Amino acid sequence: MKPQITLAAAAVALTFGAAACGGAGGVSATSAASATGPISIWYSNNAQEVTWGEQMVASWNSSHPTQKVTGQQIPAGQSSEEVIGAAITAGSEPCLIYNTSPASVPTFENQGGLVPLNDFPGGASYIQTRTGPSASVYKSPNGNYYSLPWKSNPVMIFYNKKIFAKAGISTTHPPLGSYSQFLATAKKVVSSGAAKYAIYPAPTSEFFQSWYDFYPLYAAESGGKQLVVNKKATFDSAAGLAVAAFWQQMYAQNLAGKGAYTGDPFASGIAAMAIVGPWAIATYKGKVNWGEVPVPTTKGSSGDKVPTFSDAKNIAMYASCKNRATAWAFMKYSTSTRQDGKLLDMTGQMPMRQGIQQLYAPYFTANPSYKQFAAEASHVIEVPNVANSIEVWQTFRDDWSKSVIFGQESPGKALAAAAAKVNQLVASNSSQ
Amino acid sequence: MTAQTARPAADDIAAPQDAPAIEPRSQRPWWRLIVLLFGALVFLFPFYYMIIGSLQKKQNTSLGGALPQPGNVTLHNYSQINAALDLGRALINSGIFTGGVLFGTAVFGVLAGYALAQLRFRGRSLLFAVMLLVLTVPFQLLIIPLYVLIVRNYGLGDSYLGMIAPYAINSTAVFVFRQYFLQLPKELFDAARIDGASELRVLTSIALPLVRPALLTAMLLTFIGPWNEFLWPFLITKQQSLQPLAVALANYISTVSGVATNPYGAILAGACVLAIPAVALFIAFQRHFVSVNIGSGVKG
Amino acid sequence: MSSLASPGTATSRGDTRGSGMKRFARAVLGRQPIGLIFGAPYAVFIAVLFAYPLGLAIWISFHRYFFAAPGVSVPRPFVGLANYQAVLSDPAVRQALLNVLIFLVINVPLTVGLSLLLATALNAAIPFRTFFRTSFYVPYVTASVATVGVWLFMFSGGGLVSNALGPLAPVPSWLINQKWAMPSVAIYVTWKGLGFYILLYLAALQNVPKELYEAASIDGASRWHKLKSVTVPGVRQVTTLVTLLAIITGANLFTEPYLLTGGGGPNGKSTSPVLLIYQTGIEQNHPDFAAALGVILVIGVLLIAGAQHLLDRGQS
Repeated sequence: MKPQITLAAAAVALTFGAAACGGAGGVSATSAASATGPISIWYSNNAQEVTWGEQMVASWNSSHPTQKVTGQQIPAGQSSEEVIGAAITAGSEPCLIYNTSPASVPTFENQGGLVPLNDFPGGASYIQTRTGPSASVYKSPNGNYYSLPWKSNPVMIFYNKKIFAKAGISTTHPPLGSYSQFLATAKKVVSSGAAKYAIYPAPTSEFFQSWYDFYPLYAAESGGKQLVVNKKATFDSAAGLAVAAFWQQMYAQNLAGKGAYTGDPFASGIAAMAIVGPWAIATYKGKVNWGEVPVPTTKGSSGDKVPTFSDAKNIAMYASCKNRATAWAFMKYSTSTRQDGKLLDMTGQMPMRQGIQQLYAPYFTANPSYKQFAAEASHVIEVPNVANSIEVWQTFRDDWSKSVIFGQESPGKALAAAAAKVNQLVASNSSQ
Repeated sequence: MTAQTARPAADDIAAPQDAPAIEPRSQRPWWRLIVLLFGALVFLFPFYYMIIGSLQKKQNTSLGGALPQPGNVTLHNYSQINAALDLGRALINSGIFTGGVLFGTAVFGVLAGYALAQLRFRGRSLLFAVMLLVLTVPFQLLIIPLYVLIVRNYGLGDSYLGMIAPYAINSTAVFVFRQYFLQLPKELFDAARIDGASELRVLTSIALPLVRPALLTAMLLTFIGPWNEFLWPFLITKQQSLQPLAVALANYISTVSGVATNPYGAILAGACVLAIPAVALFIAFQRHFVSVNIGSGVKG
Repeated sequence: MSSLASPGTATSRGDTRGSGMKRFARAVLGRQPIGLIFGAPYAVFIAVLFAYPLGLAIWISFHRYFFAAPGVSVPRPFVGLANYQAVLSDPAVRQALLNVLIFLVINVPLTVGLSLLLATALNAAIPFRTFFRTSFYVPYVTASVATVGVWLFMFSGGGLVSNALGPLAPVPSWLINQKWAMPSVAIYVTWKGLGFYILLYLAALQNVPKELYEAASIDGASRWHKLKSVTVPGVRQVTTLVTLLAIITGANLFTEPYLLTGGGGPNGKSTSPVLLIYQTGIEQNHPDFAAALGVILVIGVLLIAGAQHLLDRGQS
């Protein structure tokens, strides 16, 4: 008796589910493009950015009473991609999100969640005038801009001057330029007991973690190559292998931690170095007396022309936006010379604008430690704008973890396997 | 709706007239006491440590730190977690969420349980079979279509109703109600019906008072589910102002990056606040757990 | 899942009251059609919030599906068993299923053994009985999020447990150790759920007739022998229930791996299938893959439940 009933129940379930759910209609693009009115925006939950965002919103609102902007921090989640993706599905995302990672633009574009900025009069030229020739990497394969390149955080190596002094390493010119120098310095730090680890990038398996250990070094070693160029993976090469071998050494000799750490290891003195961008400076204030150098390469080079990863965040306009004319005007307002200057001032992050070193010379005179970041900002590479980009990075990370961090496979084999999978992912036309 | 929510529980305090099948006291109880003491220690130690840890000024994980140290005691962790999470708001959200589920289960679950137990109507077996299916299927299989359904089709994202909906009527509680109602003698109902009482009357005046203690048990167990539930409210509420405490605390655990001076201390402070109401409620009401021979209703 | 004894089915004796209409209604709708009204809210609830999503999940698992913004129409072609193939050949899924196995091997025997032992110990007129009973139940009623916090604290790299064990502590520490991650999760879940199973056993122990123990005593059986030959067979049905519930819980683990080991653990060694469902379905926007995995999981659980049922019936 019971199996029949369960079967009947299943049949009931199936008939109910047979109809694919039809969604509620979205926003009509044509009418929204010229509509003005109140909009809402999200910014990140970085404290300094929040302050900047609030003052920017307040100053806009005071001069545009009929087009009020409501700003809030992006809701918490494991990653912003997940939060935004879920909101897009629900149709509940705001007009503008000031925390759109370029890696997720292809995904959101596929979902139909982004508004192409070329639709607006002078959209493309505004972007290109502000950011310059490097803006072209942010174009999608169909030639449209689906996000506005906003700010970058060139990734460099921070070192703790106190710990280095304790280990007997120069704090003004620490030998960190080449891999062999870096490894030797790291060994010295740990063996002298000055710190538990030399450097501690997060070893966890989120797709974006490779942006903070592999990618900056790969940018430097390969002379500025992206992960994927012309739909082919580039990292299965001498440069990629060199980077992998370097990090493998670091993990094998326990110079870098292999387990997740709750908190910031550099700020709490557990690690002598950190590989991060200028946004982190605010968290280290008062806790660490730091210096910075570019990321190492095999041969070693000095100066600030070493390519690195941009860790850029963009502004994107989302499909549920009803008052797109206002949103576009606000986007331009928040990336004006004045507001870019305020961003630099309040957060220390580099606006993706041409010539910031000249434009904001007083700031850099007052904060010489940021000069290097500004110089690096013209030598950054971006994540590739390809189909399935998040899955590409996740695949890479999985193979990286297995071989480099946990030493269960040779990096050569792992990189080759990852490259094959990545090529497949990038080539697939179908979204996802 | 998760399989981890309350299952039928029973207690061992027997009705006075039954001689409980416990072994006589003459069997020197010392071995039991040792086993039980050791067990209780293992079970309760983490809670003790939770409280100690939440009061530590500076994180102290050594063995000595397990004992309260007067110099290392502070309430600062509580204020830190409150600053990060707004404990009051989160507690209220948990309360609304749980309250909604309790209401739905108390009203509609009791009706359904009673109907399944004592009323004969077409479709009764089907309803019962589907209820069993609900208990078997893991909630996580359904979260994706449920998410689309509730957030997009019904537009209930970021709302209390959206949070409560999948849990509104706890199927385990319905199952339990059915069991308890089943044990009431049928003659009681037949007599009332012959007297002309409507079914609703029968339910409210006769059946309910007889199973009231069991009802309390089921409601208490239904409370535990939404109070501690994490996944669904996490999915459906992205605004911090709507998140119940379990979700807010979980977010804090996974995204805190050492901004707090004692991150673990703050986490434990939040954990204490989350744990205490459930434990307190349980301890207060635990003597109301009634021995119902639930075992007899659950034969193969 | 054990089916239930239905109440006595006293048929109506030659009730000739009422017109043909009423008799017809009674035949079609049952003796107390108001039951339909009582049960209606629950039925609607199940239909809308369970049956429909279940059907939709199954439908999704047979199509190429990803979430799109409202109003955006995307092709959703039928792909047959492609998603199921992808799921079964994915190494992450295999690792997750292996993790479930590791979990069950540790959790189920520990659960059954410890809960029976503690229930037996509790089943006597000992002092402080209420205190002991309460202490076992406390972890069960506490939010997993709360208890996870203290376990993270205790089992972290420099935590209390590692300090207590000194040189015996594994390096790297428990939750970030590939060998120990899943067992740590298993032990945690065992500790947390034991209280509930103890109560189930306590109720069952009430029903073991005292005479059996006395007879065994007369025969000169030792305490251990009594446990083996009287107690264990006497509570066999509850053992079945406990085992089944433990298996279902193990198959549906999500919160614990997510929080204790930061979603997946070292090298994926503590990923659970449901965690994968969440990651692929929600985080990576592959609900088709996730739905297929979910369906496989449900079928697995139903199979195990069915096997248990048959075993139980065969033995009784």
